[in-house]
Amino acid sequence: MIRTFEEIDRIASEKGPKRLIVLAPEDEEFMLAVKQSWQRRYIEPVLIGSRDKIERLADQVAFDITPFEKIFESDRQGIANLAISMLFAGDVDMAGKGQIPTSFIYRSIIREESKIRKGTMVSVIGLWDIAGLGHLTAITDPGVNINPDYESKIEILKNAVFLFHLLGYPKPRISVLSGQREIGGNLESYSDFTKLRQAAHEGELGSCEVIEATSFAEIFLPGRKVFSRISDIDIGKTAFPEILLAPNLSTGNILTKLDLVIPGFRRRSVVMTSRGPVVIPARSDFHDSITGEIALGVVIADRVRKA
Amino acid sequence: MLRNFQDIREAAKKEGKKRIVLTPSGPDSGSEALFEAAKEGWIAPVFIRDVSSMDKALRAKGFSSHDFEIINEQNPRKCVMLALDMVRGKKADIVMQGAMEHQTFLDLVLDREKGLLQSRVASLVSVFDPPALDRLTMITDVYINNNPSITEKIAITENAIKLARILGIGSTKIAALSAIEQVNPAIPSTMDAAILAKMAERKQFGDVVIEGPLDMDCAVSAKAAARKGVRSSVTGKADIYLAPDVEAGYLMAQISVFVAVVPMAGVLMGTTHPVIIDLPITSGENRLVEIALAALLSGR
Repeated sequence: MIRTFEEIDRIASEKGPKRLIVLAPEDEEFMLAVKQSWQRRYIEPVLIGSRDKIERLADQVAFDITPFEKIFESDRQGIANLAISMLFAGDVDMAGKGQIPTSFIYRSIIREESKIRKGTMVSVIGLWDIAGLGHLTAITDPGVNINPDYESKIEILKNAVFLFHLLGYPKPRISVLSGQREIGGNLESYSDFTKLRQAAHEGELGSCEVIEATSFAEIFLPGRKVFSRISDIDIGKTAFPEILLAPNLSTGNILTKLDLVIPGFRRRSVVMTSRGPVVIPARSDFHDSITGEIALGVVIADRVRKA
Repeated sequence: MLRNFQDIREAAKKEGKKRIVLTPSGPDSGSEALFEAAKEGWIAPVFIRDVSSMDKALRAKGFSSHDFEIINEQNPRKCVMLALDMVRGKKADIVMQGAMEHQTFLDLVLDREKGLLQSRVASLVSVFDPPALDRLTMITDVYINNNPSITEKIAITENAIKLARILGIGSTKIAALSAIEQVNPAIPSTMDAAILAKMAERKQFGDVVIEGPLDMDCAVSAKAAARKGVRSSVTGKADIYLAPDVEAGYLMAQISVFVAVVPMAGVLMGTTHPVIIDLPITSGENRLVEIALAALLSGR
């Protein structure tokens, strides 16, 4: 069971290098991350994008790209289509997004998934390494589905459960988060919780458990309605779940990025496909965090192939 | 400018003694804080409940029934109506939720004809005292409105600005949150945020800067925002975070309390008189801050 990002980095250097197709590495931070990942033996990059920009950026970060395969293409959707088709054909182990609209990549993934009749729904999984917790925690979906309905939530959870199985968690615990309060009637997210709990119980999501708690208050204060001192709260003493299902995109995106302000939180994100991971860093990410996401992708790529 | 919860408590003590009517009164965490404020001398509690069971409860706290005004009423709904009459009649300053379920209490308090609703909508502001900052921050609406329309978000924004003024925050910086920092018609909260930002730019909220839509990394980090090409005085310095809906607001407030372990106090805004809700995510120790905030709101 992989419990920390340090373990991911170690395994990535042991199992690498994996062939990573890098879509439009036309930004200094991203090119730096590719360089760093290659130096750490995580990856062997395949660079696809505008020739001028790739060569200029490589030069800027002093990265000799002559040994690597390069595909020169300037059409953004063309880049996404070719890269994702190479992932699904097994020509590369994983893909990574550079300066290209994320929607183009999602479109290419959906197209390839439908070709192999898998139909896997595209969703993003934000992964937290929380100091003192002892396991990784995912929040999903912070990136794709705006207002997922029950059926979509089933698919989103299947992706997350699949990831946790790959990371060595035989039965991840899921909290279906909801803004359900004492007022305001029944929210759809709360109705979905009841149905998802039943679906998990019947094995529809794979080996996992949907827990009773639908909010952080219920996770931290099971069976209680009051607490006296905030300083008594300790995440290490809770049964904090491995997977948090966000009720909608805005909530998922806002919560997952709180690592920026919560001490002891670190985040890496990934998109799961049936043929391997797609690393989609936030446009605000810097090279160290992008390198971390590539390491996560390497570990997943290694285990997807074995699975 | 009040920079932390201690400042709020000290400022409340200077407001003069406020009369809080706890209704219907019961043995909950709220009354613990009330007794503490009463001992400190800046709050005069009034209890509306079954008097026959009051003596024992008071003795357990070191008081007697002669120390406070106690109004005998057993029907919980009548207890609340009596409290509303008292604040309207200037016999009390603040209403505090006692042992009554939240929906019934709020239905009575926020009734347009017989209640205390003043704004288009009421909204709850979570005020945070982050140890790493030398100022207070706020998230709203975290409790009242499920999916506020743009009209309701305008009222929610005005409610929060009013609280910011009371806390002494001058030119208030507001981050209107969404999933992304670009305006996208497929995500209505990005449109709402853009409207609020434009209204602020035209000074429709007074001396306020609203930036939106902002995703969370742009809101909390000027450096991350700059990477995305967003440059604003709000990024990394927001006083108020406007949540796109209650799912986001309530869960943000909860994760801040339980995971980030940041002290939080809730304030109901949009009413003619301060109302304290028995929020399940407020710790007993911070209930006193909620009382202090209500005292500051009283009369303003």
